Amino acid sequence: MKIRTAKGKMSNESFITLFMAIVLLVIFMIASLLVPNFFKLQTMVNLVTNFWFVIILGIGVTFLLITGNFDMSVGGVIAMTGVLAVYFCQAANASKSELANGLGFPYGAALVLALLGALAIGGVNAFFIAKLKVASIIITLGTMSVARGIGQVITQGAQRNTSLPDVFGVVGNAAVPGTSIKISVLIMVLLVVIAVIVEKKTVFGRRTYLIGANMQAARLSGVKVTRHLTYLYLTSALLAGITGILLASEYKAGVSNRATGYEFDALVITLLGGTNINGGFGSVLGTVVGALILSVVTSAATGLLLSPDWQFLIKGIVTFLAILAQRFALDRRKA
Amino acid sequence: MDNVLEIRNLVKDYPGVRAVNDVSFDIKRNTVHCLVGENGAGKSTLIKILTGAVARTGGKILLNGQEYCAGNPKDAKNKGISTLFQELNVVDQLTVEENLTLGMEDTTFGFLKKTDKIKKIVSVLNSLEPSIHPKQLVSALSVAKKQIVEIAKAVATESDIIIMDEPTAAISESEIKRLFDIIRSLREKNVTVIYISHRLDEIFELGDTVTVMRDGRHIETKPVSQVKERTELIRMMIGKTVFEIYQPKEKRSEEKILEVRHLTNHKLKDISFEANKGEIIGFYGLVGAGKTELARAIYGVDEYKGEILFKGKKLHPSPDKAIAAGIALVPEERRSQGLFTILTIRGNVPVMNMKKISKNGFINSAKERKATLEYIDKLRIATSGTEKEVSKLSGGNQQKVVFSKCLFADADLLILDEPTRGIDVGAKSEIYGIIRALSEEGKSILIFSSELPEIVNICDQIYLLYDGSIKANLQNGCDINTEMIIHIVTGGE
Repeated sequence: MKIRTAKGKMSNESFITLFMAIVLLVIFMIASLLVPNFFKLQTMVNLVTNFWFVIILGIGVTFLLITGNFDMSVGGVIAMTGVLAVYFCQAANASKSELANGLGFPYGAALVLALLGALAIGGVNAFFIAKLKVASIIITLGTMSVARGIGQVITQGAQRNTSLPDVFGVVGNAAVPGTSIKISVLIMVLLVVIAVIVEKKTVFGRRTYLIGANMQAARLSGVKVTRHLTYLYLTSALLAGITGILLASEYKAGVSNRATGYEFDALVITLLGGTNINGGFGSVLGTVVGALILSVVTSAATGLLLSPDWQFLIKGIVTFLAILAQRFALDRRKA
Repeated sequence: MDNVLEIRNLVKDYPGVRAVNDVSFDIKRNTVHCLVGENGAGKSTLIKILTGAVARTGGKILLNGQEYCAGNPKDAKNKGISTLFQELNVVDQLTVEENLTLGMEDTTFGFLKKTDKIKKIVSVLNSLEPSIHPKQLVSALSVAKKQIVEIAKAVATESDIIIMDEPTAAISESEIKRLFDIIRSLREKNVTVIYISHRLDEIFELGDTVTVMRDGRHIETKPVSQVKERTELIRMMIGKTVFEIYQPKEKRSEEKILEVRHLTNHKLKDISFEANKGEIIGFYGLVGAGKTELARAIYGVDEYKGEILFKGKKLHPSPDKAIAAGIALVPEERRSQGLFTILTIRGNVPVMNMKKISKNGFINSAKERKATLEYIDKLRIATSGTEKEVSKLSGGNQQKVVFSKCLFADADLLILDEPTRGIDVGAKSEIYGIIRALSEEGKSILIFSSELPEIVNICDQIYLLYDGSIKANLQNGCDINTEMIIHIVTGGE
């Protein structure tokens, strides 16, 4: 009997990614037919670049969901890190207004300290979830509020946007030389490439799947589950922290209600990309396709109805339909 | 005295196995009827048919003279057969009274109503065990008292029969005494008890009648008063099983590889033993004797007091350290502990030794495929390819995947917990072949099993476990006395 090996057969993850890419194409064509001026190169570029921040978050969220765990703290971490970076960087004693006075740290030091703040939130998540085995949804909903709360206290519920050095606004607004593509988008693309390699090619990636497929068996097979989950939560928080700094730089402001609801967007694109909510299955590339679907739908809704009030409803319906289609396709393939 | 239950020519087939084979016997009303047999004798399947958990293949069951057939446990209960499972069926967060009336509350417009029914049930509980207060939370009760709550519920709902599956496995001596008093008092309450236990002494203490089953067949039903001694029961349980003749090894290594000293934890009591290179050591005991707990402790999954030396070095209790030192475990439950069933064979085989297929943390997929193919070939795993999901393999082939994982880890000591549970005869003998070959290669093997033929056929040394301690250590050979072994593991001296 001929024994078949991996060569020539697509994995279920690749199948779902491809399936969702086709769904994306169909939605894009429908949108092009219905929405005037939608079928344009600039629109397409915007579709990819507008959602860079949710895609960066999606990387951490996807890895964690593959292990069967949630990270709902990422939106809060963005807000907190952005506010912290601004606060550390603002000149000390610059003005009478309290919100205009920061700590006056050098730019580099301010960023490093802000990222350490993000890592601290990731560390809290890891301690309770990986070490004490508390349900991840509870802990990360808690740290979501804690992180945003810290941002609100420091900004007194508003924002800090004065007495910042010019260098603070550079990285978030700069474009890749010779193009109109922002540095932030480039960073997103780089992170996605690294994530795909880690996921597909490394032992670390493989262990991530093992934990999600069967945590008990993973432990009995020698996987250091606690340590692995700790790394993942720290990475997810770090990615959110980087996003927070990029967004704060783009607007040259630390805003306490920045990124509200992004944790849900990150979760939705991960699920749209085919990652199983119970773990053991999923891919970062799928998440990117999921982000594009969400991006097309959001843009088309705006273009079509002109009223942003409809966005949530349309987003919800399409997400629902897309996930149903995906489960159906996967079940058919497995049967 | 009339019969409450009559079983006639009962048959149950599973794919490849006849679990219950033409069984007929009667159970007299208001008696305690004991059911004994080795693991795999067909007791559990018989009970599952009675409780409606599985459907029979053929035969007849008469309850109170009428044809009886239950579709599910609730149906069985309504028809008069309640069961006290080992996994108790009480809700910890509710009070005793709420538990007793669960599922049969009287309501008006959806609101609960206090009725005479509740009073009646509570009075039954009171007559059985006055120390349990109806308003008490069940979570505060001991296992034994929870059992009594379940018994009270069964009595109050006028069950004809209560089936008790090893009720004494998890309770203390004094509680057992109290439970026995209650079971005896059930006769006056018009209840028949079917009592299943591995502890033979309990049968003499409690039973009116005993039925012995073996290999799915009914062997004997007789009054306990007519059974002269426990050896008679043991003989009926094991029959004239012919064991394959054990082949002693020609030369034995004297090189010590494992030393376990004074291992003690929640289940184990001061366990010490040693294993030499290439030796196959069997641990035999019944359910609850501590086999799995010992396997898990050596592998570092569960905590313990005491000391384990492997290759002369102290072992730190953690599975990843055990694997690194050269130990691998085939766990008791292959689906929940051994395999990643949603992943492919390729995703399973290399997981215990990723270093072999990777460099600097990057996986070499060619090596990975080659290694998987090698083990598919070596252990003759029946599959269409490396990319087959493990959940789609048969039990025997799944177990071979678990073995592949452990062999790939290049371990010098393999711990096998129930290595052939739930797999067919052909796959079983293949697995025995693998175990023997590994021993020839110089690997040491610890086998934990509740199947005596398995232990007697392949092990060089045999340790008998009862209630968490080692009761005897036997050198295997032609003079091995199986009756004596059963005598010891059922609690005899």
